[in-house]
Order: sequence, then structure tokens, then C-alpha cells
Amino acid sequence: MAAVAAIYSELQDLNTEVLAISTDSVYAHKIFKEISPSARQVQYPLVSDRNQLISRAYRTIDEQNGAAFRTTVIVDPEGTIVSKITYPREVGRNSQELLRLIQGIQFGRETGLGVPGDWVPGMPGIPRRPEDIGRI
Amino acid sequence: MSNDLTVEDFANEPLPFTATRDDPAPLFTAEAIVNGDIQQVNLEDYRGSWVVLFFYASDFTFV
Repeated sequence: MAAVAAIYSELQDLNTEVLAISTDSVYAHKIFKEISPSARQVQYPLVSDRNQLISRAYRTIDEQNGAAFRTTVIVDPEGTIVSKITYPREVGRNSQELLRLIQGIQFGRETGLGVPGDWVPGMPGIPRRPEDIGRI
Repeated sequence: MSNDLTVEDFANEPLPFTATRDDPAPLFTAEAIVNGDIQQVNLEDYRGSWVVLFFYASDFTFV
């Protein structure tokens, strides 16, 4: 959460907003934001999904305990889901990968080029040419 | 879930909504803490921006 707070200005530069969502009450969110050193740095909204409707609708609810899975959903400016990644129980997210995904999606849409694995900003995209099939 | 399930158990079923790639992001309005205040957040208000929905299990965990 603090890791996303640390890249927040870069996300803003990419016209990207963040909504953090858990099934905690808005009151828990308030105290969390006030006393947790990592949450204190958070500039984006902490959404309370108290009735679990959001987590259920996005199919990211742990029905055993009513808590959301650790899932990152990216929604494009038209309101369509373009990426959904659920992380394991044991491991937290990678904020640089989140940044790379959004940069890669935007780069792909702007250039029409393919965005290969391990692409990072500054690297070229791949033209989609039928004559290259089998040659890359 | 049993580990005995095979792809045949699922492959011929209609695919339910799974809120995944290329699906419309279901709209919602919910209370949120924004800069310390309680405010309503409506996903539809974010049209025109990219949005990251950052689901996490619980406050006061390592998230």
C-alpha cells in the first residue's frame, strides 16, 4: 500500500487513479490511515466494501472469512477491465510491475505495436507483420 | 473443492461472469476515507481516467 503511495505521482502522470478496497468498515479505514505508518502515506481513497458487494462482483472474495483476495484490477478510461491479477496468499504486489503494465497498455494502444515480455519504457514495441511470423 | 475435478467438468458449462479481461467493470458507489474524511466514491465518476482497483484483505496487515 505504501509502495503504491510511492508511485502515486507517476500514476497521476499516466492519468491513473487508485481505489484501495477492503471489506473493513470505513471507521477501521480511518484509524488505519491515522496510525499505520504505511497507510499514513496513502493519498488515494480507502473504499469500504462493508457489504462485500464489490469484492463479490469482481469475483475476488474469500468466502471463508469475508475478506477480499489480493487482486489488482486495471480499468481503462471507457470502463472496461483490461487486466486482473490475483496474487498468492503469501506474497505482496510489485508496484513497479503495476506501473509497467499501465505504461505498456498505453504504449501498445498509442503505437499499435506489440508489447513483448519484459518490456520496459524506452524499449521498442514489435510491429505486427505477417511476414515476421515464425521469425521472432 | 475436490481435486478430482477435470476440465470436462467445466468446459461444457456456460461461462459465468468472472469480472476479467474485456468485461465491463461493474459500477459501484461506496463510502471511503479520502484525506481523512468520509466520502462517497462512485466508480462511474472516474470515466476518462485509468483506474487501479487495489483489493486487499484487511487493514492493519502488510497488504
